[in-house]
Amino acid sequence: MSEPGVPPPEDVLLEVRGLRTEFRVLDGIVPAVDGVDFSLRRGETLGLVGESGSGKSVTSLSIMRLIERPGAIVGGEIWFEGRDLLKLSEGDMEDIRGNEITMIFQEPMTSLNPVFTVGEQIAESVRLHRHASKKDAWDRAIEMLKLVGIPSPERRVKQYPHEMSGGMRQRVVIAMALACDPKLIIADEPTTALDVTIQAQILELMKRIQAESGAAMLLITHDLAVVAETVQRIAVMYAGKIVESGAVEETLLHPQHPYTEGLLTSIPSRVARGQRLNVIKGTVPNPFRLPKGCKFEPRCPYSFEPCKDNDPPLESIGNDRKVRCWLHGLPEHALPVTVAAGTTPGGAS
Amino acid sequence: MTKFIIRRVIQALPVIWLITVVSFLLMQQAPGGPQAVFNQNPHITPEQVDAWLQRWCLVRNADILQTIQEYLGWLGVYNCTGGGFLSSQGLPNFLPAFLGGGTNGVIHGDFGFSISSGQPVLSLIAQRLPATAILMGTAWILWVVIATLAGVLAAVKRYSLIDQVITILSYVFYSLPTFWLGLILIFIFGVELRLFPAQGIINVRTSPAPFGTDAYWHALFANPWPQLVDIGQHLVLPVTTLIAVSVAGDSRFVRSAMLESLSQDYVRTARAKGLPGRTVIFRHAFRNALLPIVTNIALEIAFLFGGAIATETVFSYPGMGLLFYDGVNERDYFLLMGILLIASLFIVFMNLVADVLYVMVDPRIKYD
Repeated sequence: MSEPGVPPPEDVLLEVRGLRTEFRVLDGIVPAVDGVDFSLRRGETLGLVGESGSGKSVTSLSIMRLIERPGAIVGGEIWFEGRDLLKLSEGDMEDIRGNEITMIFQEPMTSLNPVFTVGEQIAESVRLHRHASKKDAWDRAIEMLKLVGIPSPERRVKQYPHEMSGGMRQRVVIAMALACDPKLIIADEPTTALDVTIQAQILELMKRIQAESGAAMLLITHDLAVVAETVQRIAVMYAGKIVESGAVEETLLHPQHPYTEGLLTSIPSRVARGQRLNVIKGTVPNPFRLPKGCKFEPRCPYSFEPCKDNDPPLESIGNDRKVRCWLHGLPEHALPVTVAAGTTPGGAS
Repeated sequence: MTKFIIRRVIQALPVIWLITVVSFLLMQQAPGGPQAVFNQNPHITPEQVDAWLQRWCLVRNADILQTIQEYLGWLGVYNCTGGGFLSSQGLPNFLPAFLGGGTNGVIHGDFGFSISSGQPVLSLIAQRLPATAILMGTAWILWVVIATLAGVLAAVKRYSLIDQVITILSYVFYSLPTFWLGLILIFIFGVELRLFPAQGIINVRTSPAPFGTDAYWHALFANPWPQLVDIGQHLVLPVTTLIAVSVAGDSRFVRSAMLESLSQDYVRTARAKGLPGRTVIFRHAFRNALLPIVTNIALEIAFLFGGAIATETVFSYPGMGLLFYDGVNERDYFLLMGILLIASLFIVFMNLVADVLYVMVDPRIKYD
C-alpha cells in the first residue's frame, strides 16, 4: 500500500485505502465499512466475500459513490486510473459511472426499469457516454444482447423486462454493464436471485465476457463456491473490515483467519451425510456495540487475551496474503497447529 | 383495446341506470316537493295543485308504486298521459318513436322541462355548461400541475425545509371545508383587500354582453384579451377554493408515489449508469410514479364535480353547480335528474379514460 495521497503504480487499476462509510441513523452511527483496504490489478478478478451485513455491498456502492443518505463516505481514498474517486466532482463521477466502472446488481427482477424496453435501457448508457446516435446505440444494444447469449436479439431488444425470465434479465443487466467497454465491472451478488441451473450459466457467461473484454472484475458474494470457480483473488470481510485476503486457491485451501475457516467448514456439501454441520457460533455483532478488540473475538474458537482489547492490524504474511488476526503475531498460538487438533480444513470444492 | 372499450361501455350502462334509480328515489324521499311554493298561497286550492302536478306527471305524497311510475315516466318506459306502459299508438312506450313508441323520457332523448322555470332541461344545462367547463378545466389543470410539482419536489428534497413546508401546508388545506375556505377567501381577498372579484364569472358593468349569450361569444372572439382577463380574475378565488383540498391531498399522494419509485432498484441502476440526477428523477423515477398518479387524477375528477356545487354557490358562479343547488332548493326533479345523469355519464367516461391511460403509461398492462 502506498503513502496516502500518492497514486498506486500503473498496473493497479483500483486501490481502496482505509475506506470508511458510515450510516447515521436514529440509534447512532453504524460503521458499515470500517477501514477497508484492497487493490485490483488490470484484468484481475477479486472476490469480496462475507455474510449479510459485513459491508460488501456498501463497499461496492462506495466505489461507485452511490451511497445515499443517511449513509456517507467519511474517510479513505479510492484510486482508480490514477485519480482519487472521492475527490472528483459529481459530474466527473457521472462520466465514470456506467462507462469505466459498471455494476451488475443482485436482483434482475427489480434492477431494470419496467416502463422502458431493454433496448432503450442498454442504448441509454451508450448514447450518454459514447454520444452515439439513436440508431448506433440501438445497434449496439442488439450486438450486446447477442454477446450475452440472448437468442433472436433483434426481437428481444424491443421487449420489456416483464416479458423476460430472471436469467434473461440478468443477461440484459450484464449487457448493460458491458455496453461501454468498462475497465472495471462490479458484480454485486449477480447470481444470488437466480435458479441454480441459471446461476451456473450466468457465472460461465461472466467468466467468458470478463476474459474476452479484459476488464477487471470485483465479484461480491456470500457464496464461496461461486468465488472458487470465478475469481483469482479473494478478500474476506467481517463487520466492515477485511479479515483475510490472498490468492483464491491458497486462501480456500489454507485459511489463516478463524472466520474464513469457519465459513469453509460450514459448507453443507463438505460434511458427510449424518455428520453434524459445523457452524460459526454466535451471530454477527450488533453494529452499535462492536467488540472493543477483534470484531470476531466473541465468536472465535481460538480467542485469547490480546484479542479482547486490541483490534489486530491487517498484516502481510507473505505470498501476497494478508490476515487480520493476533494468532499471526504470536507464533506459539499459530493457527495451523490448533486447526490440526480440531477441524480439518480440506480442499476447496 | 377496442373490444375492451366496447365491453366497458356496455358494463357502464347498468351502472348509470342504477345511479338514476337511486338518485330519483332519494330525491323523492326529501321532504316537500315542487308544489311547496304554493303552500303559503291562499288563492291556490289543493285541486289546482294536483292539476299542476299532473302536468308534470307527478303525484302529491306519492307512495312507492306511484314513485316508480314517476321514475319510469322520466325514464320513458311509462306514459303518464294515460297510456300506462303503452304509447298513444298502443305499442310499448319504451320503443323508439318511429316504431310506434312514446316520445317522453330520457330513453327518447327527452330530458323534460325544468319545473321552476319551464324551460327545457337540456337548454338550461347547455347555457351553464361553458361556465362550469371553464371553472373545472382551469381547476383540473392547475390541480394536476401544482400537486405534481409539489409532490415531486417534496419527495426529491425529502425531510428538507421545503418538504416540511409542503407537508404542513397540505395538512392545513386538506383539513379545510371547501365552503368555509371560499367564504374566508371572499372576506380577505374580495372584501378587505379588494384584490379579486368575489362574485360571478364576468364584470357585468364592463362586459359587452351577459355571459353565455351569442353577443358575448362574438365579443370574446373579436377581442379576446379583455374578456379573458376579466374571466381570469373572476376565476382566481373559486379555482383556489375548488382545488385547495385536492391539491393538498394529491401532493401527498404524488410524494409517496415518487418516494416509492425513487427507492426502487432501477433508480439505483440508472444512477449506476452515470445518468445525471435530473434524468434519473424525471425519466426513470417519475415515469414510474406516473402510473398511480394518472389513474388517481382521472378518477378524482368526480371530486371536482362535488366541489363545484359548493364553490359555485358560494361565489354565485353561474355554472351547473349553482344550477344544481337552485334545483335542489326548488325540488326541481327533472332538472336535477338531467344534471345528475350528465355528471354520471362524464364520470363513467373519465373512469374509462383512466383505464385507457393506464395501458398507455404502463407497458405491463394489457387489455384484451
